[in-house]
Amino acid sequence: MKVICSRCESPGVTQMHAGMEDGKVLWRVWHCKDCAYTWRDSEPAESIDPKLRPAWAQMKGVDFDSLRQVIPPARKPT
Amino acid sequence: MATEKVVSLSAEAKAVAARVGSLRDFLAYLGEHDQCVSWPDPVMPEPDIRNISVAAGNNVSTGPAVIFDKIRGYPGKRIAVNVHGSFGNLALLLGLPKITPVRELFFEIIRRWGSDKPLLERVAPEKAPVNENRVDKNINLYDLLPLYRINANDGGFYIGKACVVSRDPLEPDNFGKQNVGIYRIQVMGPDTFTLLSIPAHDMGRQMLMAEQHGKPLKVSVMIGNHPAMPMFAATPVGYDESEFAYASQMMGAPLRLTTAVNGTDILADTEMVIEGELQLNQREVEGPFGEFPGSYSGVRKVPLFRVTGVSHRNNPIFENIYIGKGWTEHDTLIGLNTSAPIYSQLKKDFPEVAAVNALYQHGLTGIISVRNRFSGFAKSVAMRALGTPHGTMYLKNLILVDENVDPFDLNQVMWALSTRTRANDIIVIPNMPMVPIDPAAEVPGKGHRLIIDATSFMAPDNLGADPHLVDRPMGPEIDALMQRLNELQKGRA
Repeated sequence: MKVICSRCESPGVTQMHAGMEDGKVLWRVWHCKDCAYTWRDSEPAESIDPKLRPAWAQMKGVDFDSLRQVIPPARKPT
Repeated sequence: MATEKVVSLSAEAKAVAARVGSLRDFLAYLGEHDQCVSWPDPVMPEPDIRNISVAAGNNVSTGPAVIFDKIRGYPGKRIAVNVHGSFGNLALLLGLPKITPVRELFFEIIRRWGSDKPLLERVAPEKAPVNENRVDKNINLYDLLPLYRINANDGGFYIGKACVVSRDPLEPDNFGKQNVGIYRIQVMGPDTFTLLSIPAHDMGRQMLMAEQHGKPLKVSVMIGNHPAMPMFAATPVGYDESEFAYASQMMGAPLRLTTAVNGTDILADTEMVIEGELQLNQREVEGPFGEFPGSYSGVRKVPLFRVTGVSHRNNPIFENIYIGKGWTEHDTLIGLNTSAPIYSQLKKDFPEVAAVNALYQHGLTGIISVRNRFSGFAKSVAMRALGTPHGTMYLKNLILVDENVDPFDLNQVMWALSTRTRANDIIVIPNMPMVPIDPAAEVPGKGHRLIIDATSFMAPDNLGADPHLVDRPMGPEIDALMQRLNELQKGRA
């Protein structure tokens, strides 16, 4: 099954690490290149299931460029 | 500025200082006093570590540090939490019995306060335990550290208790301007992380400087430190004052420093150091994070760092913190060291100040006990507290009580509120600067100040209440004298 981001539902996710136990994969950590959400697939559903996560925490459709800057950059990144 | 003042310690405090040179030493010492336990069962990274951390922190008096060494999926890795999570643990660090009242701990910190004469020992990098292992290539923080989600709706896995060392980008050789602070760090890619600071903090200032001038900003993220370090890294000392120097004087024993590969000074006995470099003007989506006011901060764009290398001890311990809706380890870790500078800054001008309790949520609420020198005096003290460096951004609610009310005993404080407060002794100042993560602020970064004067009523000075007016000489006689003086001045008399 194709893994999508738990927060913004983007397909642009990358596996960061796999936790092993007795030679088998116990869990995998994923990171979303779009909204930067990171999660482990063994976590409780409240953290990783888009249907069970609170609505306020979801970022599907959010324009990431419009997010507030805590320290505004001095110049455009090169 | 370094002072010549040296802290004098009791024999017990000296013995602890001599013995505790690292996190490992402190955990062993805590264990001997039943203040550190190893969790015996296998745990899942989520939600087990979060839940056990909260349970340990619920006992504010004598909750233990907890070591996890059976983390499922992370064989051989170790985590320590709640190391500063109880006043009992802080008391042991100061060489006091673990049941020492908080008020006494406050005065012990005050007694040790105010000296930054450095007690520092240099260790050659090749002899520093932190350099037992080095990773320069294929760096993957998710593999090196047993990372986990602290609160259920955090945006990722946070390093919440690291002490970050950075040099002033414009004066990289100035030791005093080297900053050590605790900032929240969200691990992003395998070798990148964001670090959240605000322009009011030293690190934020350095990030602004680096980007404005196009200079590199190199940082060392120290994880698992000497227990005095996180207490002082979170203390607002002056920009050109060294947190290393403060921490060493505070303990009354030398801290062992070595030089990281990137040139910053680091603790030689720290468990792990992640060296990183600010990616100029690059930002990444960061948050939310369950912060100390007990609510999630928003999602923002935050400066990004790339990891250039990692050094670590054999079998390193990932020390982390539970932070969220209080009471948490965050409150215990920084509470006394938030109260102490406010007290010492007030005491300079107002010797009537008896004690300051700013334990609550980094000082969002503070209680000051003070002897009224004259009527309304406590309110002037409150105004001065709002002008202290920490008060400017954090002291939102201030309660003033008499000098014979213990601000650390909330029953006494409630007595004062019940029996001493009058409605016209309350001052509200709107539109004041406020730490941006205060969830009660009408707009982030701006909020109110509330001063409740709960000191005993003192009659106003009545010297002006019964004036007998002076008869000022006036009329034609005075007019003639003025005319005469005028002529004398012109030489016409």
